[in-house]
Amino acid sequence: MSAGKGPLKGRKPADRRVRVERPHSAYFRYSGPGQLVAKPAASAPKTAVGRLWNRIRAITIGRPLASEEEIGERLSKKKALAIFSSDAISSSAYATEEILRVLVLAGSGIALVFSLRIAIAISVLLAVVALSYRQVCRAYPSGGGAYSVSKENLGALASLVAAAALLIDYVMTVAVSSTSAVEQIYSVVPSLFPFRVEVAVIAIALITTANLRGLRESGNIFAIPTYLFLGLALTMVGLGVIRVITGQAVDVQQANAVQSGSEGLGIFLLLKAFASGSVALTGTEAIANGVPAFKPPESKNAGDTMIAMAILLAVLFIGITFVSDAYGIEPTLKGGETVVALVAGTVFGHASPLFYLFQAATALILFLAANTSFNAFPRLAALLAIDGYMPRQFAFRGDRLAFSYGIILLAGVAAFLVWRFEGDTHGLIPLYSVGVFACFTLSQIGMVRHWNRHREKGWWYRAGINGLGAVLTALVLVIVTSVKFVDGAYLVVILIPLLVAMMLFIHRQYTSSRRELAIRPGYVAQPSQRQERVIIPIPGINRAVIQAVNVGRSIADDVVAVFITDEPEDAASVRARWEKMVPGVPLVVVESPYRALVGPLAAYLDVLDAAWPADKPAPITFVVVPEYVARHWWERILYNQSVKRLRSALLGRPHTVVVNVPYRREDPEVLPRPDPRSDAPGG
Amino acid sequence: MPEAQVPSFKRVVIALNGGSSDAQIVALASRFAKIGTTELIAVHIVEIDWTLPLDADIAGNSEEAQRVLDMAESVAEDSKARLTPVLLQARDIGAALVDEASERDADLLVVGLPYRKRFGGDFAIGRTIPYVLKNAPCAVWVVREPIPEEKT
Repeated sequence: MSAGKGPLKGRKPADRRVRVERPHSAYFRYSGPGQLVAKPAASAPKTAVGRLWNRIRAITIGRPLASEEEIGERLSKKKALAIFSSDAISSSAYATEEILRVLVLAGSGIALVFSLRIAIAISVLLAVVALSYRQVCRAYPSGGGAYSVSKENLGALASLVAAAALLIDYVMTVAVSSTSAVEQIYSVVPSLFPFRVEVAVIAIALITTANLRGLRESGNIFAIPTYLFLGLALTMVGLGVIRVITGQAVDVQQANAVQSGSEGLGIFLLLKAFASGSVALTGTEAIANGVPAFKPPESKNAGDTMIAMAILLAVLFIGITFVSDAYGIEPTLKGGETVVALVAGTVFGHASPLFYLFQAATALILFLAANTSFNAFPRLAALLAIDGYMPRQFAFRGDRLAFSYGIILLAGVAAFLVWRFEGDTHGLIPLYSVGVFACFTLSQIGMVRHWNRHREKGWWYRAGINGLGAVLTALVLVIVTSVKFVDGAYLVVILIPLLVAMMLFIHRQYTSSRRELAIRPGYVAQPSQRQERVIIPIPGINRAVIQAVNVGRSIADDVVAVFITDEPEDAASVRARWEKMVPGVPLVVVESPYRALVGPLAAYLDVLDAAWPADKPAPITFVVVPEYVARHWWERILYNQSVKRLRSALLGRPHTVVVNVPYRREDPEVLPRPDPRSDAPGG
Repeated sequence: MPEAQVPSFKRVVIALNGGSSDAQIVALASRFAKIGTTELIAVHIVEIDWTLPLDADIAGNSEEAQRVLDMAESVAEDSKARLTPVLLQARDIGAALVDEASERDADLLVVGLPYRKRFGGDFAIGRTIPYVLKNAPCAVWVVREPIPEEKT
């Protein structure tokens, strides 16, 4: 107990003192009576390989953070607008182009005439959705994602549909935002077009690493790209509008414009253009999800920010569409400039620094939009895991307090989509809107139910707004699904029920295992009345076996060693040595002419069980397995292969406990080593 | 205290008695400690009766004694100060404290003076503090616990 060799001397002979060792202090700290808190050293690896792996992890994702190091920052409206709106506002960078790409099938003139009207119609829809979500902010100050609103008001099944749609929405946000950001980059550097998939995947990998390091959205660094984009985009729209009003706008000559079609402008084409453009609404719900992050009064501030975001998005969307119409800008062929880049180039000048800055800001806000999903997806997955609808691993936080499993899954699926669709935003869009509008609709229906149940003052007015939102978004959901079904929306229509079925299956598994493990209230554990017996399968007689026998004897008095062999001569010699060296422990030799090990042992255990008196409770059988511990990784291939097979064969056997007794070379001597000069057997 | 008058210490021994003032004096010492240069040594001494041998297994098995030092470590960590916990067994707390401070070449010794609520409330100065004040080889700070406000 004393740390030194003896008592330490004091100034006077009687003033001696003893330093007391504190072996726990390197690994644990007492936080209360009988309560310990582990220090980082407790989870530090002991092997050289483990230490190296830890070092690599520390360099790439940072040192592990303790739970108490989590920062909960409250956001001002200005900061929250930048952080929560990047997803929604950034969609103005590609929404106009999506409308034009559909309408151009009916001829470029028609495309230009109708695109503005469609943009205005979508903005009206945006106004209704924003007003509806403002109500969500008010009703759910703790965060009103479509999943929680549906769960509370519409039941489990609807909430799972919302969750499935949301998960798809988040994956699509990462894929679409990354590809669109890369499009903005190759609009400036066309030589990057052949490497668009690689650039997008590298960008996703970088965002993933940053999120695994525990990147939070609260930093000021996130506000810069959003406000830079907003400032430059509003300047671009303002300058463009002034030039149109003053009659300076002239048609832009485009060499690589998409070939105009001659398809008649029917209602289907208009609806398809509307459905494509409605991608502008994606990300609108982010503010309602993040109400608790706002400074008090949270609900009011979130509601105000929602309205500001909707106004800005509508102004940019209509503005960009208006300017592109006025300049006769058309979408380009694959690898060409994006519509928003053409608008910026026309207004600022293609060689102007403002053009490059705008393109950089657009790419940045789009990457930022991808990053918002890296916060939302893992949180939703964790929420689902806590509710038992997803594997529990999704609720575990990694070293840096990030939900690592969710982050990696999101990155993997998004990167796969980018690769599968060859980095083409236009190809990915049909998969995007279905999930988004399914969430909007469920959330709004849930809100109608909420107001109807709670009946607060003015409830009918609020229910009316949410009801209108529900009807309109449901209508758009039907339009988006039907007109884009063949283009890819069918995948989402198949995927949502599949995900729901998977979540229900997982929930059923967890519920049944919980029920099996449940203990009735008031149960008090009593000492076991069942008998115990020990079976030690032995490969021969050696130090590891003797150690296992000693362990077995400490468990129960009824100890039997079982030697399974395919050579009867061996059996006789082992028995002779056994009886001499391990007296008091009976040895059963099982001859195995077919050279099997696991099967005969399991059969022997079955025979023992069958021979047990039926009127007595079945005994607990401890199968004590001697195991040689390899010192190096390569040694593991050489040893314990039979032990592994035995362990997996006995796993789950009723009333059976498998006890591994590891023998390390540095273990204290269990019996004297044989003298190399003597011929004495054993050892 | 103005910044210019803040004394700097290399090695500070903090005496912990397991009372309510422990966290306060560790926090105070941590505040004055210069990160990277000042070493804090938290000392908790378990007094051993003359009926027992000095090296009897008392403090090592006492969860309470360990907790006193763990708390000190945790408070110092919050201030990013470097603290070494030391658990001692001795016949006389004052003498052991002074000897430990001398051996470690401490330039400051911090002791707490708790307010006892029992028996009408008083500062029981005891015999440790006078001994330390008389014999310590370095500066001594006695940190008096605030008197709790009486409930009206």
